[in-house]
Amino acid sequence: METEQFGVEAATALLRRFEPVIRSTTGDRFYPMDVEPYVRACSLWVQRPGEEAVCIVPGGELSLDRLAQQPRDEAGAVHFLKFTDADDLGSDSRGGLGPFRRRARDRKGSKRAFKAGRGRLARVGYFSRFVDALYSIALLARGRVPGESAAAASVAYERIMAEREQYRYHGRVLRQDGWMVLQYWLFYPFNDWRSGFFGANDHEADWEKIFIYLSESESGEVSPEWVAYAAHNYTGDNLRRRWDDPEVERVGEHPVIYVGAGSHASYYAPGEYLTELTLPLPSPLARMTETVRTFWKTRLGQYVGDEDGGAGYFSIPFVDYARGDGLSVGEGGDRAWDEPRLITDPPPDWVSGYRGLWGLYARDPFEGEDAPAGPMYNRDKSVSRAWYDPVGWAGLDKVPPPTEAMEAILEQRADIVSRCEALRVEISEKSGRLKKLGAELAAMRDRSHLDAPYEEGARRVAELSGELDRLRARLATDEAVSESLEEYADRLKAGERDPARSHIVRAHRPASEDELRVSRVAEAWAAVSVSLMLISFVGISLFAREHLISMLVFSIAFFAFAEAGFRGRLVNLVSSANIGLAVVATLIIVYEFFWTLVVASVLVVGLYVLWDNLRELRR
Amino acid sequence: MLLILEVIGLVLLGGFEFLQVQRGGIDLGGQRHQAVEVAVFALFVPSAILTLLAALSFLFLHRRGWLLAAIAQGLNLAVCLWLYSWFQPAYVYPIMAYCALMILYLNSQDVRAVFRPRQDSRASHGN
Repeated sequence: METEQFGVEAATALLRRFEPVIRSTTGDRFYPMDVEPYVRACSLWVQRPGEEAVCIVPGGELSLDRLAQQPRDEAGAVHFLKFTDADDLGSDSRGGLGPFRRRARDRKGSKRAFKAGRGRLARVGYFSRFVDALYSIALLARGRVPGESAAAASVAYERIMAEREQYRYHGRVLRQDGWMVLQYWLFYPFNDWRSGFFGANDHEADWEKIFIYLSESESGEVSPEWVAYAAHNYTGDNLRRRWDDPEVERVGEHPVIYVGAGSHASYYAPGEYLTELTLPLPSPLARMTETVRTFWKTRLGQYVGDEDGGAGYFSIPFVDYARGDGLSVGEGGDRAWDEPRLITDPPPDWVSGYRGLWGLYARDPFEGEDAPAGPMYNRDKSVSRAWYDPVGWAGLDKVPPPTEAMEAILEQRADIVSRCEALRVEISEKSGRLKKLGAELAAMRDRSHLDAPYEEGARRVAELSGELDRLRARLATDEAVSESLEEYADRLKAGERDPARSHIVRAHRPASEDELRVSRVAEAWAAVSVSLMLISFVGISLFAREHLISMLVFSIAFFAFAEAGFRGRLVNLVSSANIGLAVVATLIIVYEFFWTLVVASVLVVGLYVLWDNLRELRR
Repeated sequence: MLLILEVIGLVLLGGFEFLQVQRGGIDLGGQRHQAVEVAVFALFVPSAILTLLAALSFLFLHRRGWLLAAIAQGLNLAVCLWLYSWFQPAYVYPIMAYCALMILYLNSQDVRAVFRPRQDSRASHGN
């Protein structure tokens, strides 16, 4: 990465020229803010292994400068900020939770209230709903952000905004691999996805990012080529969109971001996104399943359904509501951005010197409820890829900027052409040697006193012949690649571009109208079915123990058919049930007629061989 | 064709079982067990009708034909397995073998491709 110093003015002008427009969802309570007032409102704590957390700097005494001046600490110690305290609610409102609850009630009744879409559970399968129930139960045992934290954070945030209403991002400009990267780091004081929007987690502090990749012409003109919006922990090609992709909505030169309610994940289009937390199978089981799946598909030519089965078979569904119907900030929006806080190079101390968490450390083993680290670091204090390799983070490291594309193609073609030349020379030399060896071998044939050298010669001929075959195959491939590079260069010269979405393997899309059109009955079924099934199992085991097996089979079949009917998956269910029945039937037949089947198989093979030989005789 | 062959097979098998009992007379003493076996053969009637309907739907490449045929095979196998657990009548084995092969055939990629519903042009969303 080049560490060229950008002038503050030039960097700020670039950032402001392309700064995004964020569109939030009705009901969202937190918006991008400057880190300074947040840090001022926080206390700083350290959690050492096996000890209670200790407050190092009390609330109100912390500043960005002081944040970076942390002493070295023992291994395993975690520094973290604390934005909220349950006491905050009492002291702030002087009436405990009363005023906050009144405000929440008012908000619920007003147009600013969030209304969930059709149930997330109705959009996914039975097993997922069952695992979801287990996940919710596990949350009670895991470390998590206390229930009142979102309320306290809202109060603290409103207090900061009352002092001075502000909407600010943190900007960084850098060059890497020929690209100029504009980084927009958005800081939210609280992520209330779980408590506010039925999501996966809550945590204090939330860092989100949007990167814009610019190319520079020789005259110094910049033009935007790509954008990448961060959503949860996803990285790579699927995050990235080309500037001229119709999915990238813009207001002038400002890309529009639809922000997930509570989670603050960034999306290109408004809508409701189903995000599934996939729980992988244990690796031996996953390998076995994959082997059976491959055999079933390739050897038996059977249909295996969705190719995205992967190694995870249980997933927990969460909906990210990025409707874009709430407050918008930026060009043409309800509020304008304040002057950005620039992250210069070298980075300021609050970025590079503080490796701790930016909010409460909940000690959640899955980390979902722990606050994130700053823009430069991961939670484990390592430097984050988005910081040191923003180009690779969005999968752009294999894409040359337009100004370098032709040069890259021509250089690669020249490399291949010279490799082809070398291959031709090598092939010619080895081909000559093979011919001589062949002649030597022919001369030794039928000479019993030369049996040993003949065998050695035959081995060398076979080896050389194989090597030549590999070289010729490589040459043929290289020639074809060289030809396609030449055609590609011609296309680029003619101004043709690759399809804008050819790099996207799996785009994150909002739920379609059909998916949202889940009937109320299906939604009610999704809400009660798991509990109903468990209760019916208990009922059967208590009151119909004499018919336990048959009743269980009957009830499972009933729930399975009802579920499949509601979700339009009857074909899949019938297919799976049939395969299960066929496997059992086959095992019974093999068990009952094992020796008969062995004899019949031998007989069939014998008859086939006889028929084949007789056919040959008749020719 | 295979489905019609299956219906014909079921009818012939049912007829053969029935004739065997007829030949021995309805003697509720010695032939009772066999008579019950033949009586429960009637359980295959609904699935035979379904199979016939499926065969007709297949002729017109109607997508529901596949589902009907699959349900019919599943019903046949379920009845066979149930009968096997109670009486183990001899006729269940050929029916089980035929149905297992039919299920493999119906689930083969080529057949599924013909009867698969048209894909929505919108790509599904992912993680």
